[in-house]
Amino acid sequence: MTAVALTLYPLLAAFILPRVLGRAGWADRAPRLAITLWQAACASVVGSVLLAAFVLAVPPAVVGHGLAAFFAACTAWLTHGTGMTVATTGIAVTVAGAVVTRIAYRTAAVLVRARTERRRHAEVLARLGRHDERLGAIVVDYDERLAYCLPGRRASTVITTGALRSLSPEQVAAVLAHERAHLRGRHHLVVAGAEALATAFPRVPLFERARAELAGLVELLADDMAARRHPRVLIATALVGLATGRTPASALGAGGDTALARVRRMLRPETPLGRGQRLAGALTVGLLLGGPAVVALLPGLGSFLAHHCHELLAR
Amino acid sequence: MMRGLGELESVIMDRMWSYRRPASVRDVLEDLRRERQIAYTTVMTVMDKLHTKGLLTRELAGKAYIYRTVSTKEAYTADLMRESLARSGNQAATLVHFLERLTPEEAGALEAALQVFPPRGRG
Repeated sequence: MTAVALTLYPLLAAFILPRVLGRAGWADRAPRLAITLWQAACASVVGSVLLAAFVLAVPPAVVGHGLAAFFAACTAWLTHGTGMTVATTGIAVTVAGAVVTRIAYRTAAVLVRARTERRRHAEVLARLGRHDERLGAIVVDYDERLAYCLPGRRASTVITTGALRSLSPEQVAAVLAHERAHLRGRHHLVVAGAEALATAFPRVPLFERARAELAGLVELLADDMAARRHPRVLIATALVGLATGRTPASALGAGGDTALARVRRMLRPETPLGRGQRLAGALTVGLLLGGPAVVALLPGLGSFLAHHCHELLAR
Repeated sequence: MMRGLGELESVIMDRMWSYRRPASVRDVLEDLRRERQIAYTTVMTVMDKLHTKGLLTRELAGKAYIYRTVSTKEAYTADLMRESLARSGNQAATLVHFLERLTPEEAGALEAALQVFPPRGRG
């Protein structure tokens, strides 16, 4: 029963959660909470799959008797191959192992590749750019308006001479504050995690949506961090300054939705969530993370209580 | 040590780009010696490394190599920047960008969004 619930939940959640979370109109008012929610949703789905496997592999009675008994049962199972239904245990262990291995492998692949690319980029950058002490950034001679950051151990922010020419010093400061917020918040890890999950299990709506949403949300969050020290209007105008006036040849990709949303957002005064909404958000995070664990442990807990209460009553 | 060589790589590349003509190790050495003490073998090693990395090509002229840059500094920069813009493959796992590209319509919408503000705040 528990296993069924824990197996059905991720299947449903993988399709329903992206719709529910994707419709959240408050997300741009509290990007940090929205980021946590998406991450919790992903963790919840992965976690419940693993817990379902655990429940299938380990009968609740064994959990109920405490850890020592659990380990004893494991030893017995390993040495004699008895004590549990071998078929379900085998399947469960295989599924859990496959899920964990897949995620670990994709995470490592994404991180290693990112690091290799960053290193190569930094090497070329060292040859082309010059470090500007006053800006605290690397300046590259290039006509296009561009600003970005290079995360990693020797993190740096990069800005082109084209961007410096078209922005006022105050706007440049705001742009660099945005980039530093990315670096300080280690946003590349948020994006890398989502990337790893989306590529580990392709075509899962939740993971695909989470990857897209998280990439946009870290931008909003970095805007907010920059807005603590710089006027919001300045950030908005800097965004427009960077986004416009490009040659068509460089117009790679598409999707300026986020850009528009970001500018409009910076032109509005800040509207933080109320206490009630924040609390509801935190509770949802707790539910997403704790829910599957509670469901998984309930039978074990019941068994535990039954066992020990029985002992108490017998005295 | 490694970092010193790395720095020398950029110095030498900058010189090579500024000449806008082929140069030998001796040419670069004499140029560099106007500003710093440096050994012939050091310059030779670094230029050999730059050749291995594909930044310089070389051909034998008599007993010494004549080096030339593979691409102009501008083209090299454009390559690097284009790479930083290519969000496809590994997405933002490598770089977090300030902003994605915009279509002219979107750019127009952005400008319109700013019209309500006095030009004072604009760059």
